[in-house]
Amino acid sequence: MAAAIVELKNVIKTYRQGEVQVNAVDKVTLDIHKGDFAALCGPSGSGKTSILNLIGGLDTASSGKVILEGVDLATLSNTALSEIRKSRIGFVFQSYNLIPVMTAFENAAFVLDLQGTNKTECHDRVMKTLADVGLAGLEHRRPDQMSGGQQQRVAIARAIVTHPAIVLADEPTANVDSRTAESLLDLMQSLNEQHGITFLFSTHDQHVIDRAKRVIHVQDGHIVSDQLKA
Amino acid sequence: MNLNTLAWRNLWRHKRRTSITASSIAFGVLLAVTFTGAGDYFYTRMIDAGANMGMGHITVAKPDYNRAPSSKKYLQDAENLRQQLLKVDGVSTAFSRIQGQAMFASARKNIGGGFIAVDINQETAANNLFIKALIKGRLPDADSKHTGIILGVDLAKKLELDIGKKVVYTTTDANGEIVSAIARITGLFQTGELQIDGSMALLSLSTAQKIMGYQNDEVSVLAVILNDQRQSVAMRDRLRQQDAFKQVEVLNWEQTQPDLAGMITVDKSTNKISQLMIALLVAAGILNTMLMSVLERMREFGVMMAVGMSPKRLFILVMLESFWLAVIGLIIGIIVTTPWYIYMSQTGIDLSGAYGEGFSFGGVLMDPTFKLRLFGESIIAILIGLFGLALLSGAYPAWRAGRVTPVETLKTL
Repeated sequence: MAAAIVELKNVIKTYRQGEVQVNAVDKVTLDIHKGDFAALCGPSGSGKTSILNLIGGLDTASSGKVILEGVDLATLSNTALSEIRKSRIGFVFQSYNLIPVMTAFENAAFVLDLQGTNKTECHDRVMKTLADVGLAGLEHRRPDQMSGGQQQRVAIARAIVTHPAIVLADEPTANVDSRTAESLLDLMQSLNEQHGITFLFSTHDQHVIDRAKRVIHVQDGHIVSDQLKA
Repeated sequence: MNLNTLAWRNLWRHKRRTSITASSIAFGVLLAVTFTGAGDYFYTRMIDAGANMGMGHITVAKPDYNRAPSSKKYLQDAENLRQQLLKVDGVSTAFSRIQGQAMFASARKNIGGGFIAVDINQETAANNLFIKALIKGRLPDADSKHTGIILGVDLAKKLELDIGKKVVYTTTDANGEIVSAIARITGLFQTGELQIDGSMALLSLSTAQKIMGYQNDEVSVLAVILNDQRQSVAMRDRLRQQDAFKQVEVLNWEQTQPDLAGMITVDKSTNKISQLMIALLVAAGILNTMLMSVLERMREFGVMMAVGMSPKRLFILVMLESFWLAVIGLIIGIIVTTPWYIYMSQTGIDLSGAYGEGFSFGGVLMDPTFKLRLFGESIIAILIGLFGLALLSGAYPAWRAGRVTPVETLKTL
């Protein structure tokens, strides 16, 4: 088995809802390995998004450890967390969340720009990545000139162009029709198989679950099953 | 994409909103130029008019003359001093003048008042308001055997005299003795200021010197007119350093005309309060626009931070949006305000219908035409002030943007 990129050790995340404290993530221990194509599935409110937030360094655990490539995220400052997110994690959001005033090229290049990548390298990497996600020739289009599927492909390009350790995708097919969902899954699967990119999804979509190589069931903040498909 | 380009594009997401806010900044430029320009013009005209009416921007006189004027306190070797003043850089001209109190008498009445004696060869309508206000008759001859006098039109009325008639005036001489003389009225002036027209008379310098027992180069004051009245304090201090002026008193107009200086100070304060109100209105507009723009993009900012943008860069991004908004507003403001300023500085608005041909402020006669004049430093102050205001108004929204918590703004990752 490949080395663990992400390790969650007995992680608890508690939220206060009025007078009541709720454990959105409750004593979760989980490893994500390089090359995983894993789906976190479970009903709404089960804790999938909270787990993704913790892994992505967007939220901090109430207790336990979240370790990314050997680094305990709890020990990092906000600036260091920003750096980690910028260089080691790719995010794909349910509603694409592209920047509307930027073209496909500029959206995909956004994180590289933040990293200070030089123009030539940035251009080459973005153009190659856009070609990889099937958007060659559409680099000058703005989000409002593209379909939902195309926008999500740009979001995927933005997530993978920096060669992150892991791509965290929250319900990536929730806002697109089934045909587009299939083509997005094809794309992510091929990126996983051909480029070895690690994906962790949260989803309730059975199509996604069917395509995942590893399915982790979450319920009431607990991991109730973790199945590796043959 | 660099932050500047992103900020510029963000600004044009809502073209109408950006245009309205930029217009409010432009309107602020127009109002600031109008208020400041009116002040710069009005105060300069008042100060210049006050200087021309008597004591100059700078007054050179015998020590203590200003505090307690007396015919016994007079300058000697005045022409030599005047010639030295004319050589000083920044001095436009210098006039020899004698001022004093007098009792004017006709066959029927006695009226108390004052006189100013000027060198008819030095002073003209261009630099002396009394000569400019001559409505009837002519100036007295400088070297005439018959002494002439010009009276304020109301003083002549009170004395029941007219041109060609004789008036007796009594004053004190160089020794403090009472002396009287008779003069024939050669002209009448009407400034529009009742107190001046009802009590003042204009004499030729040589006539006054003869009556008061002064020598040819002895006068009450040297009234120095500067190229720029704003330099009066610096010029006063410079002159005080020169040996030629060590034995005399050198004062600037704020010291010789404290009433006028006080009124200008009060008026400036009122003007500044008005401008502050305008600034607050402009600031509220910018703040409103930037805050709306930030609040409706919280999710977008959350995404930006999630993918690695630092709070500091987000703060800079929003500040750059304020920066460009200010630049656009100022450019529109300059385009709109320039023709207005050119018209108002060259032609102005004639207010004589409302105020008459002349009106006074702080005892100084004013031209009834409303004009604008901006000093270079005022232009810089307006541009920097409005620019700074725009940036300051953008600071709070930018700070809010920089405090975005991705996990809270992104309801789902």
